[in-house]
Amino acid sequence: MKRRSYGRDAGLTLRIFTTASLLGLLYVVFAVVLFNVLSVGLVPMILIVVGIAFFQYFTSDKLALAASGAKVVERDQAPELHDMIERLCAMADLPKPRVAIIDTDVPNAFATGRSPKHAAVAVTRGLWQRLEPREVEGVLAHELSHVANRDVLIMTVASFFAMLAGLLTRFGLYGGMFGGGGRNRDQGGIPVWLIVLLVSVVTYFLSQILILAISRYREFAADRGSALITGAPEHLMSALQKISSDIFRIPERDLRQVETMNAFFIIPTSIKTSARSLFMTHPPLEKRLAALAEIAREMGRPVA
Amino acid sequence: MGLRDVLFGKKKLAGPARERLFALTTAAVTLDTELGLRTAGDAGIVFKPLSAGDFVRAENDLQQLLDGVAGDSGSKLERREDSFGYTWIIVRDPELEDQVTTIHAVAQGLEEQGFGSQLLAAVFKFEGGKYPVYWVYGYKRGAFWPFVPTGDDQKRDNAEELELKAKLEKELPVEQDLTRWFGVFDAPL
Repeated sequence: MKRRSYGRDAGLTLRIFTTASLLGLLYVVFAVVLFNVLSVGLVPMILIVVGIAFFQYFTSDKLALAASGAKVVERDQAPELHDMIERLCAMADLPKPRVAIIDTDVPNAFATGRSPKHAAVAVTRGLWQRLEPREVEGVLAHELSHVANRDVLIMTVASFFAMLAGLLTRFGLYGGMFGGGGRNRDQGGIPVWLIVLLVSVVTYFLSQILILAISRYREFAADRGSALITGAPEHLMSALQKISSDIFRIPERDLRQVETMNAFFIIPTSIKTSARSLFMTHPPLEKRLAALAEIAREMGRPVA
Repeated sequence: MGLRDVLFGKKKLAGPARERLFALTTAAVTLDTELGLRTAGDAGIVFKPLSAGDFVRAENDLQQLLDGVAGDSGSKLERREDSFGYTWIIVRDPELEDQVTTIHAVAQGLEEQGFGSQLLAAVFKFEGGKYPVYWVYGYKRGAFWPFVPTGDDQKRDNAEELELKAKLEKELPVEQDLTRWFGVFDAPL
């Protein structure tokens, strides 16, 4: 499981969310196949699930960086960014994470990695270029707080229980309905494996929504962390406002410049609106700003 | 993008969506009455020329096409190459409707000659505001988006662009994904 991206970036969020969901689905299908076709028992099954959870946990940083198209940059490629992160790490008493840049105009950032020692922080080019340095600092401090709070560990545990829940549902359903014995009996109705598959997929998506709820609470925690590290929550507040505003979604680059990358591999646009609130990994902007304003008052800082 | 494209990688370039272009002629009334924007008399279509192999044949065909369209429409056509390596066909005509028809004819001709997937965008210039307003039509997306350069180095008036979207999206297929509103700085219009 990876740290989820920061702020509102439908493209990046969708990419990461899709990747995560597909991974999860793969997981479920894989489990069903093992369980039903190969008749693997519940205990070896749970062992395998735990194994995969560990694999995911240990490769979380690489997965997240690859899914978002971030490139790790060394000090000579982005000296100012490295300097800023080093300063913040010193303040937060963290080891320095790897630093990555995503080549897009939309301001955004995320952190990943199973532990502070294996962390990576990724920022988009847009974040670095279009926000004030103090605002970038607020955002980076927020991401470093995720690292310090060990949010990847928490999310991995959460999704592990989601997997386990799905598994047990299936097991219970199977045992309850068919008394264990008649696994290949389907008397004219919908095939057993299909019911089993549907129930597990539904369970999986419900757990996913719960995980997102946890994720939203972790965001409040990271906002507070950022305020403590920088001592100036007002900069994170203005950064959040900028990141959420439509204006910063409009690119600064030229169509002909980017065409080779993506403009020629495009689906015709459908005029659509998405039901995102349920799938939001982050709390609404107003709530975050209100919470930050509260912190600012506690710290005796000016609030815009 | 369909699931198949995601799983197996997109193999073919998307074909151009030419038809939605005509929505601009309807929207012209709103542009004029509500925003005071009128056509500047210039429009352009921009595409990537073919590489060396087909070049000579394509070159002759293109010239023939342009002569044909210019004869039919009465618009003045001009051809430009830009610093990004793209070819522009500039249409000069005082009437927006004629510009749209001519651009459409050029696009159709280019597609018949096999340039279809090379079509990038059509650009229409309007004036009457603080800065010139461009409506960019992305052929791959089949949608319009506004582009208002302020004249300073790669800067654009985002507030004005969002207002244009709000005012026009009922009549014009406006690109909803703002991250695709790429500019066409220094367009030869």
